[in-house]
Amino acid sequence: MGSLFRSEEMSLCQLFLQSEAAYACVSELGELGVVQFRDLNPDVNAFQRKFVNEVRRCAEMERKLRFLEKEIKKDEIPTLDAGDNPDAPAPREMIDLEATFEKLENEMKEVNANAEALKRNFLELTELKHILRKTQNFFEEEEHSIVDDAQHALGVDDSRPIASQAQPLQLGFVAGVILRERIPAFERMLWRVCRGNVFLKQAEIESPLEDPVTGDQVNKSVFIIFFQGDQLKSRVKKICEGFRATLYPCPETPAERREMAIGVMTRIEDLNTVLGQTQDHRHRVLVAAAKNITVWFIKVRKIKAIYHTLNLFNLDVTSKCLIAECWAPVVELDKIQLGLRRGTERSGSSVPSVLNRMETSEEPPTYFKTNKFTSAFQAIINAYGMANYREVNPAPYAIITFPFLFSVMFGDAGHGLIMFLFGLWMVVREKQLLTVKDAGEIWDTFFGGRYIILLMGLFSIYSGLLYNDAFSKSFNIFGSSWRVTDDFPIYGPNKSTIISHIQLSPNSTAFQGDVYPFGLDPVWQLSGNKIAYTNSYKMKLSIILGVSQMLFGVILSTFNHRYFKNTLNLFCEFLPQVLFLLCMFGYLVMLVFYKWIYFSAIERNSNCAPSLLIGLINMFLFTYPKAPCSSHTFYPGQQAVQTLLVVMAVLCLPWMLLVKPFILRWQAQRKIGGSMHHRSTRQVPKVTNINGDADDAAEEVVHHDDVDIIHIHKEKEEEFQFGEVMIHSAIHTIEYCLGTISHTASYLRLWALSLAHAQLSEVLWTMLFRIGLSMNGYHGSIIIAGVFFAWACCTIGILLLMEGLSAFLHTLRLHWVEFQSKFYTGAGYAFQAFSFAQIMEFKTDD
Amino acid sequence: MESLTFNIDNGYLEGLVRGFKCGILKRDDYTNLVQCETLEDLKLHLQSTDYSNFLANEPSPLQVSTIDDKLKEKMVIEFQHMRNHAVEPLSTFLDYITYSYMIDNIILLITGTLHQRSISELITKCHPLGSFEQMEAIHVASTPAELYNAVLVDTPLAPYFIDCISEQDLDEMNIEIIRNTLYKAYIEDFYKFCEETGGATADVMCEALSFEADRRAFIITINSFGTELTKDDRAKLYPRCGRLHPDGLAALARADDYEQVRAVSEYYAEYKLLFEGSGTNPGEKTLEDKFFEYEVKLMVNGFMQQFHYGVFYAYVKLKEQECRNIIWIAECVAQQHRTKIDSYIPIF
Repeated sequence: MGSLFRSEEMSLCQLFLQSEAAYACVSELGELGVVQFRDLNPDVNAFQRKFVNEVRRCAEMERKLRFLEKEIKKDEIPTLDAGDNPDAPAPREMIDLEATFEKLENEMKEVNANAEALKRNFLELTELKHILRKTQNFFEEEEHSIVDDAQHALGVDDSRPIASQAQPLQLGFVAGVILRERIPAFERMLWRVCRGNVFLKQAEIESPLEDPVTGDQVNKSVFIIFFQGDQLKSRVKKICEGFRATLYPCPETPAERREMAIGVMTRIEDLNTVLGQTQDHRHRVLVAAAKNITVWFIKVRKIKAIYHTLNLFNLDVTSKCLIAECWAPVVELDKIQLGLRRGTERSGSSVPSVLNRMETSEEPPTYFKTNKFTSAFQAIINAYGMANYREVNPAPYAIITFPFLFSVMFGDAGHGLIMFLFGLWMVVREKQLLTVKDAGEIWDTFFGGRYIILLMGLFSIYSGLLYNDAFSKSFNIFGSSWRVTDDFPIYGPNKSTIISHIQLSPNSTAFQGDVYPFGLDPVWQLSGNKIAYTNSYKMKLSIILGVSQMLFGVILSTFNHRYFKNTLNLFCEFLPQVLFLLCMFGYLVMLVFYKWIYFSAIERNSNCAPSLLIGLINMFLFTYPKAPCSSHTFYPGQQAVQTLLVVMAVLCLPWMLLVKPFILRWQAQRKIGGSMHHRSTRQVPKVTNINGDADDAAEEVVHHDDVDIIHIHKEKEEEFQFGEVMIHSAIHTIEYCLGTISHTASYLRLWALSLAHAQLSEVLWTMLFRIGLSMNGYHGSIIIAGVFFAWACCTIGILLLMEGLSAFLHTLRLHWVEFQSKFYTGAGYAFQAFSFAQIMEFKTDD
Repeated sequence: MESLTFNIDNGYLEGLVRGFKCGILKRDDYTNLVQCETLEDLKLHLQSTDYSNFLANEPSPLQVSTIDDKLKEKMVIEFQHMRNHAVEPLSTFLDYITYSYMIDNIILLITGTLHQRSISELITKCHPLGSFEQMEAIHVASTPAELYNAVLVDTPLAPYFIDCISEQDLDEMNIEIIRNTLYKAYIEDFYKFCEETGGATADVMCEALSFEADRRAFIITINSFGTELTKDDRAKLYPRCGRLHPDGLAALARADDYEQVRAVSEYYAEYKLLFEGSGTNPGEKTLEDKFFEYEVKLMVNGFMQQFHYGVFYAYVKLKEQECRNIIWIAECVAQQHRTKIDSYIPIF
């Protein structure tokens, strides 16, 4: 937990890895997942890097695995996911893996090719079977008509010999099978091309057939085309070919057809047994592969990740060792050393790997070590912007303030309880629920924020009890301090009528004088002036909470200033800022407490208590009117104190705006004078470097480069632009001053949403549930069940989900804008560790 | 007014096509691609672009034809997705884009059957965007009239074909004439459609189609030298919706050699530049490449305006150019013929 206040301390490290040990070392680091490697050859193309061949081999292996996976899925064989995490295999094992996959793939392909050929054969035979069956009908019909025709012709002209009669009836025909959806176009084209001189009969095949290549089920139709002459025949055949119809030989006499049909049936049966055997073989191969496929995938991905990482490394001149640069958290350095040692031992290399810490002026990445509880809160903060390196992290404070501010808006013990129970359920069943994959984005969001939901529910119960509000009803736990007395305002003016809106006044004798011990007195729930009463209370509360949170934010900025040793900011930013806030709204908060304590309905006339808002406005106008009693002063000497406060607040403006830029300019001018002198002395060693001998030169050049970098770096600092700093300061000042006012007003949303929530739940109760409750007789019991259902749905849907989301968003805004703007920069970049665990997770997401 | 209502029907698709456009390879990508030693390198680099895993499931060794197929497949999938989500009049507009591919396919099939090639072999060479149901039965026809009556009458190309029916038989020359007549009718029809649509669509598309028409006129003229095509017949093939119409076309109809064509282009500032920059010597770009370059420029400009259909046309054309570029580079890499590898046409 302690590490959450600031991000982890990082250090840039240089790794010298023996070429033979590099693989094992990187594999160990991948398991640890605590280093972020930097790309040392950003200018080199992806395909010109050193280990590109290995990466390619891995890609090839992955392709084969994907192929196998697809086949396994096609056969609906369950894959075994035992959740084990094998180590990355040694490079020499890669060849074995490759060989295994190659063998499997070839076997699979062979089986597939066989199966496809068999299936095609099967399809052809089935189609032929259908053709024979269907054409039987065609021919029978045809026979009748032909015979009829023939007889008719004979009747007309007896003198012609029968033989010559039979001649023109010598119709040719082709029979085949075609996709059903192509029939209309096929028919139309046949008609056009053959000018209506063909006769097409078609019948649908009822059962869908399996396409041997894709495995899809397709609907087909049998057709038979009668035509006359060879020219038409060739045309018809061409069209059939064009429409991908398969033609089958079909014998002309029924006897031959029957014989053929019998032959086809026996062949189909034979084929079926062969097909069954092929399927069995395929199934066996796939089941064997399915057992290992997850493990193989993990192994190959690990190898690929390792080689990808190795590609980022620099090759030493002697090419005996690889040089890597990485960011690593300082606390993990020991672990990394240990991992490196293990890796070196595993690879059997004698020379140990070396880890050097480097000095750098570069900004390190931001890394927070979170656990399952804090990660959700950290995610909320990161969504606004990744913290700068070692900046104060708002997340630990948000753990409490976030659910609390939420509950101020969502204050209802009943709704809070439901939310709490939902959160509790998710937390308790965490382990089982974690294993559920692909449950949808919405569920993932809720589940990810389960601890937030739990806390929000808990806090809502608390503030609901304070507001004494559960489903818009109050509990009378300690006994109300109001009694029905003679002047209880339940009666109208002539004491005979009962008025519906009770106006409670603490001045009446109905009030017993002692205060309800915890939260709001339940009697207010009945009163007509409840809203007026709670508004005043909640409004003041919002201002108090808001100002305290902002003040806390400003105070947090001192931790930043002190940590980064920025005394200038402490005096020129923090001090005026905190003064400005306290002089205006700190004073207002003080007045709120003063008014609460000093004025009460009984002792001093609170009707005539000074108004806070008017008082604040008058404070800035320096007017102190005597006329209405609500603009009187709170205490003697108020005018002097307030004048002083306003003057101080106004003085803070130039302090914030001007002091820092001018001090910076003064410092810059002094530095320029110093560095001019400094630069002239540096020329000397450079000259000697060039004159040095060759061996030294290489080393010296590096050194010289380093000097240059520092030099450039310094020069960058020296380039002081007063205008820029001034504008920056002006923007900052304006933002802060306007922000203080608008942010304070913005906190009033705490009151507004709380009011809206309470009113909405009251409306639901009176408009829905009360209808059911006020029913008499037996039918009332049925109606109340229906009404309860509607009421419960609305409560869950509107009040819990929609209102909860809206309160959540407003809380988010209060944290991001109102709170964090006081101290948080959020311009860092995240630490992206090289971690197998993350790579695997990402891959399974794909 | 158009900009108010455009997004109701077409907002999603325009956003989509602009997103697709961002995936078009940049100059940097090409400089990297050119450095590839093998097709595997090419695949590796394309993986880091918008193409990502489009070749991941292809076993090595890679063939250029596989790359070509996959490139086309990707483009067709994108196009079909847009076509399936489109409503009138955008859907008609997108259909118009496919007609040019249909014409190419028909011509390819007729030429193929003329040379006794098997239809199944030819079908694989057809562009998938221009395939239609009756396409494969095209070899039943032996005369243009038959072609029309049997095959084309049901396709959207039927009205374009009316002018060709009178041709006697299908030989090389006539096929070429049919192609150009079809194109002429198609471009003019498309032009008319875009004009009727109006607004920014008309602005962008009319410019693009005028250029297309003029390019065809120039190419037809240049290719006709030394063939038996008469000048009258030639003049009939010019699409009459470009900037050359009517004076330039009349001049082109009279041209006898390349120099005269060039003289015609002198009158048109943008074409003059193209003719001046081109040549057949090594180091110079061919006129065809110049035309392509100009087309790419026009298409890129098409994306400058919003709320019009031209972006879809432009995207298809740019993607086509990109495919040509990648295939060119892939061929050069595969054949180890690196001297001309740089003559691709970068888009952005």
